[in-house]
Amino acid sequence: MMTSSSFDRQSVIEFRNVSYQLDAGRELLQNLNLAVQRGETLVLLGRSGSGKTTTLKLINHLLSPTGGDLRVEGKSTREWDVIRLRRTIGYAIQDVGLFPHFTVARNIGLVPQIEDWPADRIQQRVQELLQLVGLETQLASRYPRQLSGGQRQRVGVARALAADPPILLMDEPFGALDPITRAELQREFLTLQSRLQKTVVFVTHDLHEALLLGTRIALMEAGRLVTILTPEEFLHSEEPLVAAYVDAFGAQRVDRS
Amino acid sequence: MNVWHFMLHNDAEVARATLHHLWLVGISTLLAVLIGIPLGILITRWPALNKPILGSANVIQTIPSLALFGFLLPAPWIGERADRLAILALTLYALLPLIRNTYTGIKGVDPAVLEAGRGMGMTDRQLLFQVELPLALSVIIAGIRVAAVISVGLATIAAAIGAGGLGEYIFRGLAMVNNQVILAGAIPAALLAILADVSLGWLEKRLSPG
Amino acid sequence: MSHLRRLSILLCLVGLLSACGPSRENRIVVGSKNFTEQLVLGEIIAQEIEAKTHLTVERRFYLAGSYICHQAILAGRIDIYPEYTGTALTAILKQPPKGTQEQVYGRVKAEYAERFHLAVGQPFGFNDTFAIEIRGEDARRLGLKTISQAAAYTPQWRPGFGYEFMERPDGYKGLAATYGLRFAGSPRIMDLGLLARALKDKQIDLAAGNTTDGLIPALDLFVLQDDRHYFPPYEAVPIIRQKIVEQHPEVKQALDELAGKISDREMQQLNYAVDGQHRDVTEVVREFLQKKNQP
Repeated sequence: MMTSSSFDRQSVIEFRNVSYQLDAGRELLQNLNLAVQRGETLVLLGRSGSGKTTTLKLINHLLSPTGGDLRVEGKSTREWDVIRLRRTIGYAIQDVGLFPHFTVARNIGLVPQIEDWPADRIQQRVQELLQLVGLETQLASRYPRQLSGGQRQRVGVARALAADPPILLMDEPFGALDPITRAELQREFLTLQSRLQKTVVFVTHDLHEALLLGTRIALMEAGRLVTILTPEEFLHSEEPLVAAYVDAFGAQRVDRS
Repeated sequence: MNVWHFMLHNDAEVARATLHHLWLVGISTLLAVLIGIPLGILITRWPALNKPILGSANVIQTIPSLALFGFLLPAPWIGERADRLAILALTLYALLPLIRNTYTGIKGVDPAVLEAGRGMGMTDRQLLFQVELPLALSVIIAGIRVAAVISVGLATIAAAIGAGGLGEYIFRGLAMVNNQVILAGAIPAALLAILADVSLGWLEKRLSPG
Repeated sequence: MSHLRRLSILLCLVGLLSACGPSRENRIVVGSKNFTEQLVLGEIIAQEIEAKTHLTVERRFYLAGSYICHQAILAGRIDIYPEYTGTALTAILKQPPKGTQEQVYGRVKAEYAERFHLAVGQPFGFNDTFAIEIRGEDARRLGLKTISQAAAYTPQWRPGFGYEFMERPDGYKGLAATYGLRFAGSPRIMDLGLLARALKDKQIDLAAGNTTDGLIPALDLFVLQDDRHYFPPYEAVPIIRQKIVEQHPEVKQALDELAGKISDREMQQLNYAVDGQHRDVTEVVREFLQKKNQP
């Protein structure tokens, strides 16, 4: 149970009794209470239908809460100018969604471009980001179809970070990659995060990924939040669903020192 | 004197008729583009309009062309000059392929691309002009291609109501029972249709992503 | 890029071709509808201009009807074509077919000038209107000259009409009403081309044809006079673009010299030469104009 002390100025994102119901009547999310702290990587863990992606999409208002109040940086998402809100939040999805008709450079520079940055500043930023995500600069003029899956996802991350947003939303970004590439990108994410200190909300169904990347793990099931625990707490928890998860993944204690 | 001699002998006249034919087709296709593409975009935004708009365009297409010319004849201003009438009718016929292809082209854009764009804060306008239209372009051109080729054929029938163009040769040739005259109209018309098809097909390929 | 270049070269060629040939300035395009009388008139106009001016004439015959010709002359695709005052009045100006020959001519001339910037030339001299025909022998035997006189005998006659005559407001209905005509039985309806033969062969006793039909003299048919002036006048006149009249006054001059030069009978003979005797239109017209131009 959340105490009111959790809702302090460190909370970048606050869910207060948020519900989301489809027109047809099905409730995808029920009474969610959750606070995301500045600088943390909060992982939303759960299986399909648990409501984790719905929760993510409520944050950048791709979906609108049908009940309760969702606040980002202290202001309700209903009060935010939607476009402003989304440009303040980086968004990376599993299918990446790179624009096939844009070069890598143009893809990365998308938000800066629609924010009317001067051309040379955009170019500089693109170069910075390519380096940051570990891509060779000559890839800048290539098209997405010419890249591998791992390269595409890196471009996706670079794109999400382009305007240096304080918040990053990631929806199973490494899910479609082979295990080796996935592991590579997970490691690089950790390095990146230690440097950039973004507030990240990360959706996954993979416990290993959650334990590796998350500062806290929020376990969701059937549209409800079951519990929020640190990775340590998660591995030792006696709660039935948590234990079931740990068993299912054959997880072992993870040493992150 | 066979048809090539005839055409050579009357080259200026055949060329003039061809240019007039091209003009009829060009103006009407342009108008259809200016009306049809916005309508196609509209129904991707307001699905409720899908049935009435596509439905109307469909109904127009099923009206036999000569009948449509006949309906429009008594109309004030339009019916007074056959050129105007022909252009209006040709535009109406070209609408369906343009509206429909704009719609399917835009609907065919990868949903992940749209989700990413929207999630990053692109406005609807930015999405439309920077993402949807460029990605739908090749399908839209395919629609223009269909419209243009149909128009070349319909414009020959327009000569029956006095609009001129290559069809006039065909109708005169029929009345004269003279094959050369018929072919002097039919051959350039067929060549025009092929030209439109090939050139727009090339453009379509050129612009298709990937 | 080479595709694009080829395309632009092709377009340039087409453009150049259209500039070839005699320039628009010295070229007159004569149009006509698609039946024999029109072809003859069109050829007469063409040869007259060729003979009396330095201009080249292009023939655009076989246009399918008044509306097509009207649209073509409005759009400048043709410069001259032969029309009938009655047709101009009803079909183009959409007014009721009433008035004397002079009134109709005057009205058409005025309206054409104002509404369409088209000049109406002097009438050629004949009236191609509906002809109520009977066999020549009957006319002579019964001493008939007018429709009113014939009205006494029609209850014993079987009439034959074309489809159009039956449908038109200025056709059968009005005729029967104006002259109080009664017939022995309902009219036989048949193709215009077959009416004259049917009349000759006594399958019918009265027919509605055209006054300039070539078969009238050939088959010894008689045209009853329309003494009550029921049928509107259909004087043949040249319609000329006002622009041509201004730029080439010699054209109007040449056509004015044809004014009144073709009588009903002469038109019948010209029609028959082409239809009945299957002679070439160009030759028939050349012969005719030579005869006319001899002092």
